[in-house]
Amino acid sequence: MKITGMIICLLATIQSLFAQVNINMFLAGRPPANLSEWANRREVLNFIMNGSQSDQLVVKIKTEIKTLDGTVIGSVNLNTAKSFTPLPGVSTILGSLDVMPLENMIFLGKYQAALAKTGKLPADNYMLCLQLVRLPDYVPASNLVCKNFYLAAYQLPILMMPANEQKLYSKIAQSAITFRWTPVVPNPTTTVAYRLQVFEVLENQQDVQALRSNQPLLDKNIVGATQFIWQPQLSMMPYENEIFDSTKTKIKDKKFIWIIQTLDNLGMPLNQSDGNGESRSEPRIFFVTDRESSIGK
Amino acid sequence: MNKIKIILTGFILLNTAAYAQTKKPDFSVSGTMGVTYEGYGLNRNPSGWMGYTPRRPWNQVRFNFMPNFQFDKNFSLPFNISMAALPTNFAGPYSGFIPGGPKQDFKQWITNPVNNIAVNPKYKWAELQLGTQYLKYSELSTGDIGIFGAGFDLRPKSYRIKFFTGVSQAGISYFSGPPTIAGAYKRRNWMFQLGKEKEGKYEISLNIAKGKDFVNSSAPPPITIKPQEAVIISLLSNVYFKKGWYVKMEGAQSVFTRDLTSPATLLIKSFDPFIKAHTSTVRDYAATAAIGKKGKNFDLGISSKYFGAGFQTAGYPYLQPDRFDYLLNTKWNTWKNKMNIVASLGQRVNNISNTTLKANQFIGNLNWFTQFNDQWSLNINYNNFGFQSASGLNPYGIKNVSNDFGFSPTYIWSNTKMSNMLSFSYNYSKYDERDVLTGLTTGNNTHTALFTYVPSYFTKDFSPDFSVMYFYNDVLLAKTTLFTMSSGLGMPVAKKKVQLRGQLQYNFVKSNTFKNDNNLIASISANWKINKQFSWNTFLSTNYFKYGNSILPNGANYLESACRTGFQYKFDTKKK
Repeated sequence: MKITGMIICLLATIQSLFAQVNINMFLAGRPPANLSEWANRREVLNFIMNGSQSDQLVVKIKTEIKTLDGTVIGSVNLNTAKSFTPLPGVSTILGSLDVMPLENMIFLGKYQAALAKTGKLPADNYMLCLQLVRLPDYVPASNLVCKNFYLAAYQLPILMMPANEQKLYSKIAQSAITFRWTPVVPNPTTTVAYRLQVFEVLENQQDVQALRSNQPLLDKNIVGATQFIWQPQLSMMPYENEIFDSTKTKIKDKKFIWIIQTLDNLGMPLNQSDGNGESRSEPRIFFVTDRESSIGK
Repeated sequence: MNKIKIILTGFILLNTAAYAQTKKPDFSVSGTMGVTYEGYGLNRNPSGWMGYTPRRPWNQVRFNFMPNFQFDKNFSLPFNISMAALPTNFAGPYSGFIPGGPKQDFKQWITNPVNNIAVNPKYKWAELQLGTQYLKYSELSTGDIGIFGAGFDLRPKSYRIKFFTGVSQAGISYFSGPPTIAGAYKRRNWMFQLGKEKEGKYEISLNIAKGKDFVNSSAPPPITIKPQEAVIISLLSNVYFKKGWYVKMEGAQSVFTRDLTSPATLLIKSFDPFIKAHTSTVRDYAATAAIGKKGKNFDLGISSKYFGAGFQTAGYPYLQPDRFDYLLNTKWNTWKNKMNIVASLGQRVNNISNTTLKANQFIGNLNWFTQFNDQWSLNINYNNFGFQSASGLNPYGIKNVSNDFGFSPTYIWSNTKMSNMLSFSYNYSKYDERDVLTGLTTGNNTHTALFTYVPSYFTKDFSPDFSVMYFYNDVLLAKTTLFTMSSGLGMPVAKKKVQLRGQLQYNFVKSNTFKNDNNLIASISANWKINKQFSWNTFLSTNYFKYGNSILPNGANYLESACRTGFQYKFDTKKK
């Protein structure tokens, strides 16, 4: 009797194996930190199902995100997940929207909290595991595929020098102005370019208005460095005449706004999914004044 | 739109009723109006060499018209109109609208930040805001961008009731170019403030700001930018005590959807009725606090800011979240006001939410000015910032340290005919960057020395100045020397109706062992006060730069010229 049962089980297993769907996955090693951004980039995640020659199965994708020690930190809710019917002998390619439907994903504890606050998981190495399961009993209907990925959001540069609202002495600034900023963190795997732009804030203009509406006096891509010495080749003389008296001079400043845009090796904004979407750091203001003694006051 | 009409109609009726009761209106008009032309020229040699690109529009005309119609002491009608004939947008959502590029439609033109058309009729404590407004309700809510729309600012007694709605950017379709237009979704903003304020005593307000992009407002849509939606609610409280003490606080929560095309979800809590949750919706907090004392001769304060990683506001599109920083600053005047010390010390921590790698920054600044006597003064300054972070998968972390030290003595002497000012300034700047792959630190040292001499004649009208500057920057494989001589001269002419000022500047630039580059800059300004109201200001500048052999082709050069001339008319019917 036992032998009969074992034979039946074996046959059922063999039948099940034959009814399986072959799956494969391509996942970028360093996908965008915002999980919702995966759906916007086809190159991030591709999932291929090769339907069985014999049976037409109705399946769901069992998606799990794990830490490298195997702890499941997020998984799809199979009850509400979308079902698929791979056509026999036909390859079906699915993207992130179907494979990792965030509206159906349940994350654990601190991961859920991080996701709700930031849209990102804490920076770390993770594993994405996918497997098809049959309806209605969720029995595996495919092999299990897992891929590792590293998740870390880019922190854009912070503009450091000239400091915000710093006054530079015109006699020096007319020859050289040094710009410094912090590097993008973490260090990207490909070369990044820091696009440095300097705009003059004209009369009757607000600071950000000048940034958004004027032609930049400097527009330069800097690669592999976080400092640039600008030789402005500008007359820093105020537009309105100034009586140069050492005791009774009303200081007239020229005002500038500068900003860094971080670009990837293709010249595209490095971090498109955060903030303004242009990978532009927070701009800073500086003045060029014709009075040295006003600096720092 | 109907709301705007109701607001407008109500306000006009209110003003008409009030105005009808006035017997003899005391009408006056004051303000300024003007037109300015800007011209730019660039000649590059040899022909076809494109190593230097134009940096101003070839031609531009700007208009400004800012009259204030004062009907009586209670009712005023100020206009603020400034426009440019050509769009010159190179950054932000309008980027790509440049001379020779695609034309703007009317909505894009009127919301383009290069143009500003606004009128703010005001009756007693009620102000109607129409057109483009730059409204800053608070540091965490909104904002630093212009919004074209309508709203009001009511200040009955100590109460503050404000509302504004409008469009901060029109829908702009993607265009591959050239010139490339990145495109933008139409964004509508709403903002509301309810508060109470007594100037110099306290200020408390509740601020709500919302921005929403319209998904179908650009076709084809932008490639890299997603339609967003954000709501911010903030509570601001500033209190000013006796003897200059103050406490300022603001706390805010934002609910921000990065991508309105992402699926809706029930797993994330919506913020009804303001915003519906999508899978890209995040919710986070921000807070600012400052406490300190302001005095005549002594200021001391500590301020801190916290921005959660998911905190975003539509009113400040360039805000960088995910940071906590604090700053201790002081200002001290002593020695009978002859010594002035300004110092600040602080730290900034990025990645407080642990979604990126932690980064620490140290910031320290000091400026110390001393007037020893009538002749001698000395200014000393020191600036430092350090940045340290792990660098992901690389073997070494990021470490950048910047140190700047400078001193500047000034000597003034005079006789019966003139006074003389001689100033020397030296600055040493050191910037070290660690390579994340090799761990090696690259030093970047800069020395700057400047001599300035300014004679001032008591009996003569002209005022010259002379300066010489030496600048040397040394970094691995690159050494740059700059030597600058410049001189200026200012004088009145034509019975002192025209103020002339000219400046000549020569720069000698040498990089490594290359032959030196030469640069000559000449500029002149003439300000003609035609009468008390009318003035004509002109500024001309030319810049000639000739490379040695540091670039190809050897001897390449360019001549750049800029001209700016404009008429300004100041008017005030009361003064006539």
